[in-house]
Amino acid sequence: MSTDAPYRFRQLIFLQVLVVLPTAAIGYVTLLWINMSFTAFNTSVWAQGLFFTTGLTLAYALYFFRARWLVSFLILGLVYYFLSQIISWLPGEFDLFYATTRFQLFSTLFLLGWLFGLLLVRLTLGYIWVTVLLFIITLINISDTTDLSYTYLLTRLLPLLMYALYLFFLTPQLSQSTEWTWKKAGRLSLRVGLFVLLVLFSFFITERLLRGQRKVVEKELSARGAKNDKDKSQDGYDDRHGLMENTDDGLRLKDTMRITSRMSQSDKLMFCAKLNNYDEKRQPIPLYFVFHYLTRYDPAKETFTRDVNVPSLDEIQVDPTEVPLYYSYTDTSIFRKAMGDKYRTVIEANVYLSENTWKHSVLGPSSVFAIQTIPVEKDFQKTFLSAYKIYTYASELNNAYFVYNISANPVLETIQKQRYDELRNIRDYHRVNADFLEYYTRTPTGGIYDSIAQLAKGLVKDKARPLDKVLAVRDFFLQRDELGKRVFRYTLKPGAVDDPNIPSSKMLYDFLFKTRAGYCTYYAGASHFMLRALGVPTRFTTGFATIDRSDKNKGWYWFYASQAHAWTQVYFPDYGWMDFDMTIGNEDQQEAPRPDGTPPLPPPDPWLVLNAIADRVDHPGKSLDATFRDLIFHNTPHELTSPITLNIDASLCRIVFNEHDTTFSAIQPGDSLIVVSYKDDAKKVPLPRAGVGIDQQVQNFPRPLPADEIHIHRKEEKKESDSTRVKQKAKPPTDWLAIGQVAAIIVLVFVVLVMLSPGLYLFYLMGRVKMSAMPARADWIYRAALYRLHMAGIFRDQETPLQYARQKVDPSLGLTFTSFMNTYLRMKYSVKPVDSGEQDEMNAFHDKVGPALRKTLGFIRIFGNYFRLWRAYLYFQQPSHTESEISSL
Amino acid sequence: MSNTNTSLQALVKNMETIIRGKSQEIKYVIAALLARGHILLEDNPGAGKTVLAKTLAQSISEAAGDLHRPGGGVAFRRIQFTPDLLPMDLIGSHIFDEAHKDFVFKKGPLFTHVLLADEINRASPKVQSALLECMAENQISVGDTTMPLDKFFFTIATQNPIEMEGTYPLPAAQLDRFFMKISLGYVNEETEFDIYTNYLTIGNVRETVKQVLHYQDIINLQQEAENVYIHPELVKGIVRLVRATRQHPEIALGCSTRGGITFIKCLKAWALVNDRDFVIEDDLLALAQPVIHHRLIFRNRDAARTVLTQLAEQEVNKLAAMGIQPKR
Repeated sequence: MSTDAPYRFRQLIFLQVLVVLPTAAIGYVTLLWINMSFTAFNTSVWAQGLFFTTGLTLAYALYFFRARWLVSFLILGLVYYFLSQIISWLPGEFDLFYATTRFQLFSTLFLLGWLFGLLLVRLTLGYIWVTVLLFIITLINISDTTDLSYTYLLTRLLPLLMYALYLFFLTPQLSQSTEWTWKKAGRLSLRVGLFVLLVLFSFFITERLLRGQRKVVEKELSARGAKNDKDKSQDGYDDRHGLMENTDDGLRLKDTMRITSRMSQSDKLMFCAKLNNYDEKRQPIPLYFVFHYLTRYDPAKETFTRDVNVPSLDEIQVDPTEVPLYYSYTDTSIFRKAMGDKYRTVIEANVYLSENTWKHSVLGPSSVFAIQTIPVEKDFQKTFLSAYKIYTYASELNNAYFVYNISANPVLETIQKQRYDELRNIRDYHRVNADFLEYYTRTPTGGIYDSIAQLAKGLVKDKARPLDKVLAVRDFFLQRDELGKRVFRYTLKPGAVDDPNIPSSKMLYDFLFKTRAGYCTYYAGASHFMLRALGVPTRFTTGFATIDRSDKNKGWYWFYASQAHAWTQVYFPDYGWMDFDMTIGNEDQQEAPRPDGTPPLPPPDPWLVLNAIADRVDHPGKSLDATFRDLIFHNTPHELTSPITLNIDASLCRIVFNEHDTTFSAIQPGDSLIVVSYKDDAKKVPLPRAGVGIDQQVQNFPRPLPADEIHIHRKEEKKESDSTRVKQKAKPPTDWLAIGQVAAIIVLVFVVLVMLSPGLYLFYLMGRVKMSAMPARADWIYRAALYRLHMAGIFRDQETPLQYARQKVDPSLGLTFTSFMNTYLRMKYSVKPVDSGEQDEMNAFHDKVGPALRKTLGFIRIFGNYFRLWRAYLYFQQPSHTESEISSL
Repeated sequence: MSNTNTSLQALVKNMETIIRGKSQEIKYVIAALLARGHILLEDNPGAGKTVLAKTLAQSISEAAGDLHRPGGGVAFRRIQFTPDLLPMDLIGSHIFDEAHKDFVFKKGPLFTHVLLADEINRASPKVQSALLECMAENQISVGDTTMPLDKFFFTIATQNPIEMEGTYPLPAAQLDRFFMKISLGYVNEETEFDIYTNYLTIGNVRETVKQVLHYQDIINLQQEAENVYIHPELVKGIVRLVRATRQHPEIALGCSTRGGITFIKCLKAWALVNDRDFVIEDDLLALAQPVIHHRLIFRNRDAARTVLTQLAEQEVNKLAAMGIQPKR
């Protein structure tokens, strides 16, 4: 192989175009998808792709010219170190965080590209590694997806599959060519182009053929999803329809969901929450607390229910009881699913639950994206059963004060006006995804729904902007008659219905046109249908109205059963979902203000939380040995490389079992424990530092370790919770069966094609023999004979064809291959022409090969031999076989 | 053509009756002869080298001139090379003639048709180079006179692969002068049995070898060998093969251009010996080892054993897969 520089350079250009470019493209596509489910602040996919591609291209070129990888990695490491040092000098905490995050992301992508380049250049089978890596990344990404469909899978996997096939096809071609000229490159490009066309064509055909299948799969998918949902409620995990009814004095949440004539309410405390949300003057801004979005309406039962496949549902899917104490669960896809980034802020809230009913789902203002479980201080355990901290991606334009404002407060009106001015910027929904828009404006037709739509359309008339439509609906509910009396009233007993248990289809109609009295569900339901009929994306929201009653504890809010509420959320592009509460205030009855309780003390910040198993328990000495691997050290979760056992001093410790205090004697060896330490003296332990592994820091922990709290989990309980955890993990309907089906069909088509290829090649050869005229025909007869004999198991090892004919074929088959070869060689190498008699002999030989083979081997075996892929592979491998041997010498 | 070719086949057959089981090697020897070259046999003592040379000489009937020998067959001379041999022992010397009072040249054993130079590596380099010069130039220079050798001058040199002590191994440049280097080797078991049973008969036949060819036939056949057709694609294959030997990492010294020319000459002669008037791809594989191997210097023994064959096989495989190409 020639090694002069321009030649190598030319080769590099070819390879960059043929190998690196597709890899960069596939990397970009993968990044595009990953960015849809994970959001990194202020980085565009273009920039990410650029860094990846730069790394890839650079590494490919460098290693192509045989750069030393050790040296290059050292240099890379140095550059990385210095850059990170420079960044750490940046002023400003936020800037620093921001820059560091971006730097980390970009350098990771750059290095990933670099690694891919290295793999592609240096490893003989590097392309397989690259493909496998990409597949793993994609599968991990897919497994995160909840709304899985055939089209989604196809669009995710198809580019990768194409890329893999492309490289599998290209690489042998590249390794075979030792000479690099423009002409050769042109030929290769033509081949590659034809190949890509062929693959595209075959996929198109397959897709066409499978279209019927696809619908079936999609139907099954959605059916399975619905079933999953049913299973969940049977587990008691999310019994939002049945469970509430059991508590007589509790809230009948069912009532807020179904439009019935009566609503039971009570003064029972449900939960309290601390919202870390203030304006510039440190005045608290309360927010409504969302329980669930009911996006589907069943016209037959007049019931709002949760849907399985909701486009962009910004609801965190986690059961707080499944998150271990002090651990957190984050779903960054909420940022994307919130569908708006203007006036967004992150708000923290501590939620203390006094009812068991709520502990399986997350309560919080719109778009909760992270949750961390926290313990309840000892003194408040009688009131509150469990607690967690949530982080919410909330809109600054939302505020419980002016969600719906009827009191004439000038300050609030000003703010309200500002909010409306801002939202009035949105002219229409033409930029919104069509599926999304269709889903959130879907209404049943016929009967009362048509008259509601007519009523709504009559209200808006010339108003085009979404906000004006919303305000028109609001004003409809606020209208007063000639006497200045409100037309619509708030009442908990709408009446006019004989049997409260059987929902009448006329209730909404009656509410809007006759009685004009109802409670929140009526207002929310009616405005929901009116807004949807006007083409404004709306969703029915259940949760709790937040009422700010006390200046004593700013930011603390108390939620009683009577505050259970239903309202609507309206979608504004760029701003996201906005709360709009249409419910009329109750003029008749002045609600007696209920007292706010004493807010629970926030728990001290623990420096250490261990997730341990008790080994040896010393009951009199109140100490124990615990083995652990997971720990939270200064609010950061860590995992040790190997489990470690520490002696724990529990003399001054609080022991909690089943959420109740108990004594040390309750701890048994083998129990699973959560050990928490707040002790100040333990803070002598060095703080976590970069470069110091957690394994080393564990060695510096005080011995014995002073514990302040130990939470016991019995083994039986653990098992139970494990099983529910498994069920929960199966919750996102990642349908592996469907993935398998689609993949299997694709693989099957591919496999069948591959299996048939040896036979197809024979078919091709025989066709060529038939089609061609004599000089060329001799060639095809020769090739066909060699191929058929090889496939019949008579191998030409390193003999020349003539030797092969003389020594192997003719003795075993009684053919006249030798004389054919003599004539053929004469045709090939001599100037003297071959006469017609000899030509006839050659043709005769061609006809004799088949019968001779059948006579010795039998038809079945010959037929079977054409499915021996390895044998066929060896046939094509033959000429280059020795070549590779030599080069490996 | 066909009659000369039949006589050529007769020659092969003739020699096969004496040298049993070595038809391939006999063909190599004859091919070297027809290519107007010389051959080097590397063999253990007693493998039949002398018999081979002698039978060859005896199978060809007399020529004109002073080379005629009454014993039948063309002139055959055998020289046993020893360290004390001098060039004049080979080429002859001026002797004072009493009768004419003048120096006359007494021709040495080189003036012959078939020369068997036994154990050539035992003679001093001086003698070796004298012989090789004659082989290359086909003439002898003594003092200021230059005497041509006969057109039909064929040297079969032998050397002993064992007992290397006190020898002067031929340098690469001189090995290059030999068209081929082959090894007769031992025969297989059946042939050996056959030889032992019939050694008397074989000995008798040796005394009465039929003369199947005339001197002039050899000259004609040499001419005919030059006219054998070689396809341009084959020549390209040879070019690739020769260049491959130069670029291969395991070969220190590749084949020279002269080696390549010799290869083509030998291929043509070999085709003729095999009763063809065109060269085929098989010939490349058959001749690569005897014609090219001794011109190469390998870096290790393994390579010496395998590399050349692999290169030739690779080239032949390419040609076999090539398909019919237009001729020029």
